[in-house]
Amino acid sequence: MEHGEQKSTGFDRTIRGSMALNFIGGIILLLLVFYIIVSVLSFVFFTDAFQKEYMVTTYHMAETASLLVNGDHIDEYLEGKETEEYERIHDNLTRYCISMNVSLIYVIKVDTSDYGRFVSVINIVNNAVDNSTYVPWEIGYQRNTTNREYEQKYKKLYENGSAYETVFQAKPTDGAHPHITTMVPVKDAAGEVVSILCVQRPISELNNARRPFIVNMGFVTLLLGFLSAFVTFFFIRRQFVVPIKKVSDEATRFARENTIGKPLGEISQYREIVNLADSIDKMETDMVNYIVNLTLATAERERMGAELSLASTIQENAVPNVFPAFPDRKDFDIYAFMKPAKEVGGDFYNFFLIDDDHLALSIGDVSGKGIPAALFMMVTNIVVSDRTLMGGTPGEILEFVNNTICEHNQAEMFVTIWLGILELSTGHMIAANAGHEDPAICRKDGSFELAKTKHNMPIGAMPGIHFLDNTLELGRGDKLFVYTDGVTEATDKDGKMFGLEGMLATLNEHKDSSPKEILEDVHTGVNTFVGDAAQFDDLTMLCLIRN
Amino acid sequence: MLRVNRTMENGIVCLAPEGRLDTMTAPEFDREIKEVVPQARELTLDFEKLEYISSAGLRALLYAQKAMGKQGQMKVIHVNEYVMEILDVTGFSNILTIE
Repeated sequence: MEHGEQKSTGFDRTIRGSMALNFIGGIILLLLVFYIIVSVLSFVFFTDAFQKEYMVTTYHMAETASLLVNGDHIDEYLEGKETEEYERIHDNLTRYCISMNVSLIYVIKVDTSDYGRFVSVINIVNNAVDNSTYVPWEIGYQRNTTNREYEQKYKKLYENGSAYETVFQAKPTDGAHPHITTMVPVKDAAGEVVSILCVQRPISELNNARRPFIVNMGFVTLLLGFLSAFVTFFFIRRQFVVPIKKVSDEATRFARENTIGKPLGEISQYREIVNLADSIDKMETDMVNYIVNLTLATAERERMGAELSLASTIQENAVPNVFPAFPDRKDFDIYAFMKPAKEVGGDFYNFFLIDDDHLALSIGDVSGKGIPAALFMMVTNIVVSDRTLMGGTPGEILEFVNNTICEHNQAEMFVTIWLGILELSTGHMIAANAGHEDPAICRKDGSFELAKTKHNMPIGAMPGIHFLDNTLELGRGDKLFVYTDGVTEATDKDGKMFGLEGMLATLNEHKDSSPKEILEDVHTGVNTFVGDAAQFDDLTMLCLIRN
Repeated sequence: MLRVNRTMENGIVCLAPEGRLDTMTAPEFDREIKEVVPQARELTLDFEKLEYISSAGLRALLYAQKAMGKQGQMKVIHVNEYVMEILDVTGFSNILTIE
């Protein structure tokens, strides 16, 4: 199920699959190892315990059997004497052998010189026990000791007073069935060891008992293993996989829909998972709030943008911007250009005919940029042009304007203005400069030069001050160029400024062109100089030619 | 870039702007001026290391001149040729005490 659902995430190739299945796989592997260890250990312990127990019971059998043998007459039996007693003992041992269900009971007299040989005294065979094919040894039958192990055990019984010795033949090499042989000494009346009684007992009982034990043990372990695996599976699934899947599904849903879902809440009793779920819930709320705020902010910015764009249009049209401005006047030509650094700017220019013979020209630059400067610029431009129409010299006009502006200037802003009134018939011009750049004049057949005159304080700086007038004479063919510091202080990316020199040089390259062409060329020159750097200040120019 | 070095002694404050005083850096200079003016009996502006002053910088000067005119005095010293030209062109040299 988990696999099918993961495909929808598109990550199924890189992730490892179901968490629950992985857990279960690990647990089953652990259980398998556990099962193997338990089986081996139980095999070893069972075998050991069984053998010890088997050894002791066999010893008790052998000891009981040895009591049936009269140790004082061993030699007599071998010499064919005491046959009646021998027969009785033989019969008793035979019955004992059958009732005890052992394979062999035999008494041997070992050659104590090197324990390498022995003589059979009594030999009782009970092949029925485990389908063996032993043939009873005759009395007096001589035989070499089977191996060194037997030799040493015999020696211990004869010489060291050992109560009994045991030989395990788990895998006999002579074709016999696995068996245990327990030997006890047979003593005479004096307590001397005169022969050895051996009981051979099959240990197939060990295997018969051990196999079901191991099988049962394994079965129970496996059963418990699977049971715990299933319990673990459902536990992990309920406690971890399901809650985490809920969190994961919710995160996936949120990534797709970007809406606040039903809170996950207390989906688990574990703090870590609850924290995770809480984080997801909180993230969703925060994210959605953020998106809402961002949308609002974007809408607000768009609205501001639209308003600014409208403000920009209003400002552009607040100054005469249709050229040629006076198509029916052949005695002069005028062209102006204004480009704010932002949507709106603090620069302005203006020109208008006061009467048929008097042309007013103004250019100004408000300290600062953007909306505050633009508002200030609009007010100043209107006050200047209105006051100009009322008559007076530029100095008188600016004095009035200054006092008016100062009255309402709480923002400590000021504006530099150059204002000139040209008598078109004579070329006589009166101008006043309130902290503005000096105009450049190009005499007919000459070149552009700055016309330096007396400067006054900018408008708005201080009330009640007097503004001086200057006079300029413009001959026919002379050109007047006024500008704001956006031209001279245009800065390239290395921080170098275009400067007065750059401006004059560009003007003089094109001094014979029309006002329109001159302004376009200066603009191009400034743009080329600035290169990739952003336009930093408002840029305004005005050019007049008197024909 | 602009750095303003400030020294203060017995109500005599000296501000020495270093670098360009233009639209970008004027707010910082403005802040300095507004900070020191209330506690200054005498304000000295040392323009020895001032490379350039724009109209925004002039506005800060104007504020300082107006404020100090009411409570004490202000003078501008070590004005270099280029900055002097700007002060002349803008008419500021008429109202400032330049030494």
